Amino acid sequence: MAASNNTIENMYDVALKPRLLGSLLKEYVPDLKHQFRNPSVLSYVVSAIKTHHLLSESDEKLFDSWINRVVALSSSDTPDKCWAGICLLGVTCQECSRERFLASYAAWFNKLLLHLQSPADSHFVKVATCASLSDLFTRLSGLPNTKKDGISLSTKLIQPLLKHLNEDTFDTAEEAIFLLSTILDIFPSSIQRHYDGVEDAIVLRLMSGKCSPSMLKKLGYCLALLPKSRGDEDSWLLMMQKILLSINIQLNDAFQGQEQETIRTEAMRLLLPPGKDPPPPLGGQSLSRGTADNTLRPEHLQISRISTLIFCCCKLLTSSYPFQVAIHVRPLIALAQRVLMVDGSSSPGIAYMTTMKQEFLCSELPVLHSHILDLLTSIVKGLGSQLLPHVGCIIRLLTNYFETSALPELRIKVYAIMKVLLMSLGVGISSHLTDLIVNNSLMDLDKRGESSVAQQKLYPEATTKTSRKKRKHASTSSSLEEQPDRDVIEVEMSPNMASVSVKIAAIEALEALLAVGGSWRSESWRVKVDHLLLDVTRNACKGGCEDYQIAALRALLASLLSPGRTRPPHLSQGLGLFHKGTREIGTKVAEFCAHALLALEVLIHPRALPLLDLQSTDNNYEVGNKWFSGNVHTSDRAVNNTFHVGTSRKAPDEPDSYHDDLYADWMRSGEDSDTVAADPGKDTDKSNQLPETLRDPSSEKLSSFDTTVVKDSESSKLKEVTPNTVAKKNPMERDGVMVESQLTEKTSKHSEEIPPSKAETLASISGGKSSFQSSSLVSLGSENFVENASRKEVAEASNTGFASPPMMNLDRGKELMHESDNESMESIPDIVDVEPDSD
Amino acid sequence: MTDLELVIASSATDAGIGCWDLHTGAEHLRYRSCSSPSHGLTCVGGRFLASSQLRESKSSSSSILYWSWNKPQVEVKSFPAEPINPLVSNSDGTYIAGGGASGDIFLWQVATGKLLKKWHAHYRGVTCLLFNDDQSLLISGSEDGSVRVWVFDDLLRGKAKQPYEYSFSEHSLKVTDVVIGYGGANAIVVSASEDRTCKVWSLSRGKMLRNIVFPSIIDAIALDTGEDVFYAGGRDGKIYIAALNAVADPNNNFGLHILGCLSEQSKAITCLALSTDGDLLISGSEDGLVRVWNTKNHNIARIFRYAKGPVNNIVVIKQPSLLSTRGSVNAQVPSVKRHGVSLAPPLEKYANSADENDYKAVIGPRIDPDRSVEASYISIQTLNNQIIELQRQGSSASAEMEIERLKLDRSRSMQMILQWGKKFQSLHQFCVTELLDGEQAGNA
Repeated sequence: MAASNNTIENMYDVALKPRLLGSLLKEYVPDLKHQFRNPSVLSYVVSAIKTHHLLSESDEKLFDSWINRVVALSSSDTPDKCWAGICLLGVTCQECSRERFLASYAAWFNKLLLHLQSPADSHFVKVATCASLSDLFTRLSGLPNTKKDGISLSTKLIQPLLKHLNEDTFDTAEEAIFLLSTILDIFPSSIQRHYDGVEDAIVLRLMSGKCSPSMLKKLGYCLALLPKSRGDEDSWLLMMQKILLSINIQLNDAFQGQEQETIRTEAMRLLLPPGKDPPPPLGGQSLSRGTADNTLRPEHLQISRISTLIFCCCKLLTSSYPFQVAIHVRPLIALAQRVLMVDGSSSPGIAYMTTMKQEFLCSELPVLHSHILDLLTSIVKGLGSQLLPHVGCIIRLLTNYFETSALPELRIKVYAIMKVLLMSLGVGISSHLTDLIVNNSLMDLDKRGESSVAQQKLYPEATTKTSRKKRKHASTSSSLEEQPDRDVIEVEMSPNMASVSVKIAAIEALEALLAVGGSWRSESWRVKVDHLLLDVTRNACKGGCEDYQIAALRALLASLLSPGRTRPPHLSQGLGLFHKGTREIGTKVAEFCAHALLALEVLIHPRALPLLDLQSTDNNYEVGNKWFSGNVHTSDRAVNNTFHVGTSRKAPDEPDSYHDDLYADWMRSGEDSDTVAADPGKDTDKSNQLPETLRDPSSEKLSSFDTTVVKDSESSKLKEVTPNTVAKKNPMERDGVMVESQLTEKTSKHSEEIPPSKAETLASISGGKSSFQSSSLVSLGSENFVENASRKEVAEASNTGFASPPMMNLDRGKELMHESDNESMESIPDIVDVEPDSD
Repeated sequence: MTDLELVIASSATDAGIGCWDLHTGAEHLRYRSCSSPSHGLTCVGGRFLASSQLRESKSSSSSILYWSWNKPQVEVKSFPAEPINPLVSNSDGTYIAGGGASGDIFLWQVATGKLLKKWHAHYRGVTCLLFNDDQSLLISGSEDGSVRVWVFDDLLRGKAKQPYEYSFSEHSLKVTDVVIGYGGANAIVVSASEDRTCKVWSLSRGKMLRNIVFPSIIDAIALDTGEDVFYAGGRDGKIYIAALNAVADPNNNFGLHILGCLSEQSKAITCLALSTDGDLLISGSEDGLVRVWNTKNHNIARIFRYAKGPVNNIVVIKQPSLLSTRGSVNAQVPSVKRHGVSLAPPLEKYANSADENDYKAVIGPRIDPDRSVEASYISIQTLNNQIIELQRQGSSASAEMEIERLKLDRSRSMQMILQWGKKFQSLHQFCVTELLDGEQAGNA
């Protein structure tokens, strides 16, 4: 044994443990002879035991002396030593080895039981006793084959516990309640015989109005666990019914003069179908004697009781029971409806109510509402998909409630409910919650004057579609110029914590919405929300509350990742923010940003090949596949090259699928400036200038444009374009093509004379040859132009391929630039030629 | 312990439901008297098996049967209003949907058996039904060639603006199978039809992404977990591998997007399923064999002999709880009873025109996620709280203990005083006697 050895090697040396325990016993643990002056040494003793696991595997002798000391202490007649002994016994129950525990738990139990029973012991000792007993049972429950013993031991406890619960002096003993709920949780059947007694005692305490909030919670939890002891569905249902009845009866009283008579009769009818006998009141007859003396005003007391009972309902719905229960959902929702409809205003024509009472009710209503919202959360959590038939009802309720609720805590809870709803019920529900979440979060995130510019950007644009171009430039410049100013404003108006947490809740709800339903019927709101989140994140990242930053960054990530109809317009800004975030070393923000960058990497380098190879129309389909399958395999070298061609050929299709609506969005919502700016390679100056140079297109140019396409695409194989020029030209082209398409929109009327068949033949010509592909796409696009001459339809036209050539440039231009030494560049000339004004 | 995976197979002929352990090959119980239509076998929330039944003759009534895990006999019989072909349950096992031969879809709540909804979904018989991965969309395929997507929530609330979310009508003949991938609203749907094509649809866009023409009619599809490829079982007995995200080898003889095939000269493939890890593909064939393929090397890993008749349903179930690994199903009977799980009541034939107040939700037995043993030890926390209380000496309880202690001190001191007093007395006595004695002696 290392004990003989005088030195210890290090802190992991096995010899350390016995020595440490020995010295603890010698110097710190109080003994019977000496005075026990300083109780804080116990805390040191316990932490040493826990850190080094001194009790778990120490040698027999030492443990014996430890346990002897502890037991002796606990039988001491000096209260503080006795208390120390009991506490250490509790720690021993938790920490000692399994064999030791099994060997002596019964003896320890009896020791502790003695203290619980003896009336002489001080309150302090009793609290410690309850805690230690609770730990003893907890340990026992984890061991096999102890169930019988556990039940018989815990049965012995119930009587003394009940006695204490019913004594008025014993009112701060949360530990006693905790012990009771531990027993209910672990050995529920031991309470079976005392079911009514326990129920009465708990309800009595609960109604007395003398308990602290944490005590009320423990009581509520205990009451909710009680049906476990009988272990059948009926007792659960009865408990629920009794509680709901009790709540409704008290609400009748509290809401006197606040609601229509029909509402309360309806609420009661749901709980007690006509012709059925009411169950015995909750807590038996104990209520009448419980309310004798209390310091609180009756109104206050009433609300606190109702709140506790509601909490109890929540626990009934979400705790685990060993049986299954079929519950009526309607009464629960009706209760929520009833409470949330009362806002403290006395309706006209309803019974008179004193101002005093109204004032009181109004002061307490937020608490009540908060609890009812918790109940709704529990309903959603507890019922999951089974809630579906009633979910419409809940959404209506929340919609109405959201319009009026202004208190931050309540709004936070409503957002939380919506988040849970989204997460548990999936995409099907998302379209019903969209308006609610988007509108409210726009309000919450915007209204406190934080980003006035963003507000301007978001709202008026939807209405004004004329003079798109002018406004576009105006807003670009204004947003660029005003940004510094905005910072100043925000720093000055640092919002208080409450409004920040509402914002966090709103952002989280948006995040959930994006995660679940970001691409489901989302055309109307995605742009708005993506915008908003970028703005919010930008502002959040300028400093301030870390939680807020993280919430914003998370939502931004969701907005970037959630596949929309368009490529994420704010990808580059988002990446910038995340990159910046990673530099805040050691913070949670940095941690999350690193995660976000990892997640976004896939977006930039898609692992998967695009599913949608071409337009779904069969013609295109065939064409597309011919070149694809025909080209990939020629000679070895060609494979290399043409494979590039192949993928970059596919690329126009992929962005095409990705972007089919992107272009439409640009056209439609006039947010081009932002989206254009979003493109990393984009130079905003050019976008300003180019349109000027392209101001005067003519129909000749346009028709000649088509013919040049044919010519050049035929000759493009002969044409040698150096990679460098291509690379240089690329950004220009992008703008050019884009602007050009805007032009064609305007001038498409002139180009009607171009026969569509031309484009078609062109497509078939280029069918097998990869190098012609993009030109054929362009011509397909122009074909669409011709067909859809009207301005509005142009936006739609982009769906069917119009947008693809510019898109290809936008996306793959960069890629091609990097690979410019590749012969696959032969694809580029086509596009160069496509552009009428390139020189 | 690796999680147990079961392969369940049934057929249109009355050969019962075969049940094997996928990894060991051991056969479990064979559940009796089941003659299911294609897509008519499902496992309800992992709790029990359910299957719609083919009618033996025109006169006999159609039925849906339940089997519990531990009994071969039918436990519950329901008689829906019309013959049900495809039958599906959501992953919680709270709802069962069945597609009727008339094109109607029925939706029941499992726990109460209540018929929540019945609606006319297709012009002709429904051939397949499935839920998406978040259980909020229902997808149906029909003999009329259409594939429709229904929002489950809208259905239950019964006031959808439009009856369905999407109706894909590009198939020209009967839809034979539909599968859905991962990703909620962004998932892809793959459908097979007698028009010898499989079509890939995007849920979020509501349009076709890819059309693949096969050399034979495809009756069954299984979607690879990573969605690189999907497997299509043809009537020619081959299982084709079709590309979703994989690059197709254009030199193959099968056709565009088809990567290759698994074949073993069997009769027509009728059903396919994948193991949860995606490494094993299970196929059912008209020759009555259930083959397990290794998807990596395309070899047959195992063959289960189901019956002489054709297999038409295969379901893979991850079932760690209800059956023990040793395969003795009956050992678990008491635990099932103890948890109070009983099989559900029969499904209602007609919807009772009751108000929604009648709707009951069932909260099943479950584990409380909040409870952890470490958190429920409290004595150390209590000890620390009490020490703080003692040091502050503010509370009445600590004062009470202090008083107790002082009382004890006092009584001890009193005793001390008494003792000292006695000693003093005796000393005094002694001194006095000494003095007196000395005086007397001196005097003397």
